[in-house]
Amino acid sequence: MVDDGAGIGLRAAHYRAILERGPALAFLEVHAENFFAEGGQALAWLERFRERYPLSVHGVGLSLGSAEGVEELHLAKLERLVRRFEPALVSEHLSWSAAGGRHANELLPLPFTREALAAAVANIQHVQERLGRPILVENVSTYLRFGDGEMAEPEFVAEVVRRAGCGLLLDVNNIHVNARNHGFDALAYLDAIDPQTVGEIHLAGHEAVGARLVDTHGTRVAPEVWDLYAATLARLGPRPTLVEWDIDIPELDVLLDEAAIAARHLDAAAHRRARSVA
Amino acid sequence: MSTALAALQRRFLDAMLEDAPFTPEVAPPDALDVYRASVAANLRAALASAYPVTQRLVGEAFFAEAARQHLRAVPSASGDLHQLGHGFAAFLAGYEPARTLPWLGDVARLEWAVHESHFAADALPFDFAALARVPAGSHGDIRFALAPAVRLVRSEWPVLAIWEANQPGRDGTPDRDAGPDFIVVERDGFAPRARRVDRDTWRFLEALARSATLADAGLAFGDAMEERLADALSQGIASGLVASFAAPDPGT
Repeated sequence: MVDDGAGIGLRAAHYRAILERGPALAFLEVHAENFFAEGGQALAWLERFRERYPLSVHGVGLSLGSAEGVEELHLAKLERLVRRFEPALVSEHLSWSAAGGRHANELLPLPFTREALAAAVANIQHVQERLGRPILVENVSTYLRFGDGEMAEPEFVAEVVRRAGCGLLLDVNNIHVNARNHGFDALAYLDAIDPQTVGEIHLAGHEAVGARLVDTHGTRVAPEVWDLYAATLARLGPRPTLVEWDIDIPELDVLLDEAAIAARHLDAAAHRRARSVA
Repeated sequence: MSTALAALQRRFLDAMLEDAPFTPEVAPPDALDVYRASVAANLRAALASAYPVTQRLVGEAFFAEAARQHLRAVPSASGDLHQLGHGFAAFLAGYEPARTLPWLGDVARLEWAVHESHFAADALPFDFAALARVPAGSHGDIRFALAPAVRLVRSEWPVLAIWEANQPGRDGTPDRDAGPDFIVVERDGFAPRARRVDRDTWRFLEALARSATLADAGLAFGDAMEERLADALSQGIASGLVASFAAPDPGT
């Protein structure tokens, strides 16, 4: 189990500092594929972290939205990792990256069609069966829309989660980025989400490139995204929250500072909840 | 699969990986190029992280064009980017613009060996007790195996010197200008390292890697087999290079 506290993405640059300083964090999140090796250094490091922190294993390459299904070899490696480390959370993206044996190794957008919905549901259910546990799926940032959408993004995401029986990893930065890029209301998006299904929240930095917001994971969380996070917690109550930072990785203290901001929001949400129950 | 989604995904990958046009048009139309650029940059970065010395030798622009051509012919085949790059050395060996660097393909082969070594399985401790139970008369029939993280590379060129000279902090000047190099890549703790061995030792190890019996592998030492075989084996076991063995079937 993970407390409804703040965690950070675990990156090699911070391995030593985290073990030496032992910062108070609710959990550490790793990219699954960085630990797919049969042996070697990365797995030895992860053994040390699991003794000290709950782990979240976050996949980037399974391609849950592929019409042709997920690749069994990739799933077998994920299963090996999950069964060995028994992480508190396991998640993947609600996107696709592979077709016909070729991989773009990118979180590509799905058309919001009933067919894509059915494909994602079938793949998620297959993954959950193999892993013997439910997973969380993450809403992704996208830069295009296919013309043949049959529903809006939040309806698509909520319906996949409902039918697959999985949880939602709600990425608040991705909602903000998509709301700006595609012109919809981020708060209305939140209203379409069943609070019970949300098992984790992601926060990250984005950058403006021309007229577009790009989900770079290379800067601090933007003020607008902190505001949207507060609105999210007001609707859901506190949830385990991760600060992601994947490029131009800064000193550990910068990440810990971002996590501390998230922790203050979570404390406030927990107090509000306690008051409303009392 | 002939569904609309499967067809859309194949056409979209054509657009991403082969610069094919994509129809019907997406909104906004320039978003396709945003994804194309991101996909290409990610794949190139993954290749460069497996081949840092190769990239340093040819420069970023040359490397990027070679990567583009290679990935067009051999697209990424895994959702795990650490798998990307198999076959790039062979591509470089036949890459016309690199013909003035005839050793480039062999340097890349060494880099891929180091890359694979990094991710290979850990070896179990050598089972000396089981070895002691093999009757002395059948020692020649034992098939010894190298540790999972060991890779063997040979080149007519001084590729180990080139590789070492282009590690971070080195100025790129090799300390030797002639090969051949017979190279063993192994893990020291968890860190892969590469070292030169003599030709006969390399051939001995290469025979073990092909599952030869000890007697057949020992032929690598020629007339010097008597003096050298026992030392080569015991040093290999002591250093962790030789990690396991299959005992001969007692019935044969």
